[in-house]
Order: sequence, then C-alpha cells, then structure tokens
Amino acid sequence: MNKVVSLCCTLLFLCSNLLQADETGWALFDKVQLSVKQYNFDSSFVVFKGSQVETFRWQHGRQGDKEIEHLVPLDEEGVNILRRDNVVYYFLTDRPALVTTNDSIKELPAILFADNQQIRSLYSAVLGSSSVMSGHQAQLLRLSANDPGRHSYWIWVEAESGFPLRIDVMSEQQAPLERWLVTHMQISPELPDNLQRLLETELPEPATRQSGAVLPVNGLQLTWLPDGYQLVSEPHIVPQLQQSLINYWLLSDGLHQVSVFVQPSQRMPTQAYRDGATTIYMLSAPQHDITVIGPVSINVAEQLAAAVR
Amino acid sequence: MSSEKQEWLSAASDNRQISDSELDLLLQQPELQQKLERYQLAAAVFRQEKTVSLPADFGADIAALLHDEPTYQLTQSRNLLQKVGAGIRYAANGSWLKPAAQGAVAAGVALFAVLGVQQYQQPNGQDLMLPSPVLQTNPVGGFATPVSLSSSTVDSRFAEQEQQAMQEQQRRLQALLQAHRQQVRVTEQEQVKTEQDNEQ
Repeated sequence: MNKVVSLCCTLLFLCSNLLQADETGWALFDKVQLSVKQYNFDSSFVVFKGSQVETFRWQHGRQGDKEIEHLVPLDEEGVNILRRDNVVYYFLTDRPALVTTNDSIKELPAILFADNQQIRSLYSAVLGSSSVMSGHQAQLLRLSANDPGRHSYWIWVEAESGFPLRIDVMSEQQAPLERWLVTHMQISPELPDNLQRLLETELPEPATRQSGAVLPVNGLQLTWLPDGYQLVSEPHIVPQLQQSLINYWLLSDGLHQVSVFVQPSQRMPTQAYRDGATTIYMLSAPQHDITVIGPVSINVAEQLAAAVR
Repeated sequence: MSSEKQEWLSAASDNRQISDSELDLLLQQPELQQKLERYQLAAAVFRQEKTVSLPADFGADIAALLHDEPTYQLTQSRNLLQKVGAGIRYAANGSWLKPAAQGAVAAGVALFAVLGVQQYQQPNGQDLMLPSPVLQTNPVGGFATPVSLSSSTVDSRFAEQEQQAMQEQQRRLQALLQAHRQQVRVTEQEQVKTEQDNEQ
C-alpha cells in the first residue's frame, strides 16, 4: 500500500514539475512577443535558407498607443516595408505602393506576432540551455509542434529584454530548415527620429477589399485538411494566374498559410522542392497537376495533394 | 614631412633609439614633446601596463567628442522619407481589376520573395515518406537538374526536350511560389481570425 502511495506521489510530483516547466516556457514566450511590440529598437537580421542569405534592417517604435515598424530588405534596391498600427505598406521604386490591412509584416517571423492562445494550442514550450549569442546572454526556448506535420521552432531569447536573437525552424527530424539570426540589436527609450517622421507622414489608405480573379466552376473539392488548419474563405486570386488555374484553396492555422493550386496537366513527374521552411510539392495526376506550397512537412503536402478530388 | 616626424616619434615611444638631430628637434618643440607623451601613453595602454595613469578628464573629453559628433541618417530611411514626403496618394491594390498596376506590384514585391528554390527530391511517385536531407542544392535522385545547374554536356535530343520541359516546369512553380507569397501578404488578419473563431 505504501509503495502504491509513494508511486502516485512521485507521478504527481513529476507531472506538476512538467506543467510548471511548460508554464515557465510560455511565460518566456509571452515576454518575446511583448518585446517586439513594446520596445523602441533598431536591429539587423539575416535569414538563411540553405545556401541563400537575405539581410534586413528592422526598426520598431511606439508612441503612446501608436505603433510603427520599418523593414528594409538590404539586398534589394528601393524596397521598403512599413507598418503603422494595422496597415502595412510595401513601397517599391517607381511603382505604386501595395497597402494591406495586417497587424504584422508578413516578411517577419509569424511566430513572433501570431495569436498567443492559438500558438499554445499548437505547440509545447520547453526551456533549453542558456548560452552567449552576439554578446548577449541567450536562453533557448523550444516550441515543439504537437502535430508531427507542423514545423517546430527553437528560439534563442535575450535574457534581460526577452528580445528574440535567433529562430530556427526545425523539421520533424530536428533538422534546421531555415534560420533567422539577429546580428545587431539596440533598444532605446526614445522613438528614433526617422520613425517619428514616418509616423507623422500622410500615407495612402488601404484599399477596400475587392474580389480577385474568378475561377470557372468545377466539381473539385479538398476532402482533407491537416490538423489545426481551416480553409480561408474567398481568398484573393492573383490575376496573372487566372488563365492557368482550375481551382485554388488557401489554408491557415492562424500562424501559417498553405496554398493548394490546381492546374491543367503538363504530364511532368511528381516533384518536391524546398525554399527554406516552405515545401513546394507538385503532384502530377492524369487530369491535372496539384501544387501544394506552404511551411508543412512533405507528408502533409502529399496528403493534401491527394485529397483534391 | 609630417609622416616622417610621426615615424621617428612613434619609434621613440617604443623606446627605440633616436638620432642626435631628432633629439634636438624634440627638445626645441613643445608640440613634439606633447605628441611623444600621447604616443607613450597609448603604447602603455596597448601593452596593458598597470602603472598607466590616464588624465582625470579623459572620460569627459571622450564624452564631449561624442557629443560633437554629427548625427548620421541611414540612407534607406531618408529615401523612404523623401519618397513619402513627395506624396504617395494611392495604393496599387486600389482596384484589383487593373492588371497592369497589380502585375507591377506583384512582380516588384516578388523580387525579394523568391530567391532560390532548392530541389531536394526527385521521387517520381515513390520514396516520399523517407526523411530526406534538407538544405542541399543537389537532388537526391531522379532525372532532373535544377535550372541554374543545367549542364551543356547532354547532347541527346530527348534530354534537351526534357531539360526544356523541366525549365518550363520550374518557371511555373516559381510563379506559383510568388503567387503564394503575395496571397500571404494580402490575406488580412481578420480573415484568418474569423476562420479560427468560427472553428472554436
């Protein structure tokens, strides 16, 4: 009897320890999400996708209840991305600006801005070791996907501020698919002068939502969705694709988006590619080709393509 | 002349011998004596000598110099400020039915969105379930070669046709990847949230 009681106590103790560890991890994650929304900062980061490297400068500031964010791809001439509260502007040289309604810039890691409760439902948070990174004390936080088809995130967090220093997107086999690495970061009490001026400048209003290209009616359906994903209703269809598309679906789990394109068959073999953490899978069927693009495992992409009937 | 002065003064600060004429010059010119003193101080700091005593107002001097330093503006921000200052009054996606404007934006934004797609498997309908190495530039198996790595040594007509077909296929996939990126950009946060709320 005594042995049973002590065994139960031990199990209870272990479970409470695990829950506590998970909660400590989530508390750190809350701090990460807060840091990128609250601080005035000026930073640079690089994104590694295989042998490709992209470099960005990222500034953020707050003034009262107003928020401003400026992202510049340094390898591109004349591209500026600006966010003021929930409006995002894409400025391109000699071209009209693209204006969208979003409370984050989609070129930044979505994990830093997506709904906290939604992320908690998809991942487990576990603290890892601490180390020195870019001169800062960094704490590793692992967000392990509950579903194996979803990529996991390893986040190195600056201990004092909670600012993310590095994010690795990991495959199911724990191999890094994409790396986001901060090379410089400075937090300041005051809003930088250039952000102040951008905050005050008059900018175009976001366009009212209008319907995109229209696809011909057909009997195709997507008969399966990965765990946690939902279909986004009435997605915009880029007009250039209208001629070559038979059907299109957009899926979202609140954090990632996956596109499923159906096109006339080109009689090519089934192929799979990867652009960083983004899988590109093309299934060649007798009647049509199905292409799945998104940050999912190859298994999930294959199942999605097979679910088009 | 100035650099010659600095050369022998610098040597002197490292306790190297100087000529009689240089010594006379040093004794005659207080400016050179001060310079030698600064060189010796710097050399002692570099050698990490513990007996070095910095002037009492050293920190204050540095702070004053930093204060006088002009503020530099990074080019990108200034360019953007100039651009928005000149007045941008309309958004390209104001009308999605204007293919010219929309196409220009899509192509422009995609410039930095699509950098390099890597082929990591050529499964031809099999072996898809196997865990595959990622972040590699060469395909594991199959027949196709990525466009950027095309080889001109293949001389059979069949292979050429195959290469052309694969290039066309790569272009098609690149276009789809661009469309996906653009789709992610224009998908409004509210759309995604509504879907999630409906599910709950």
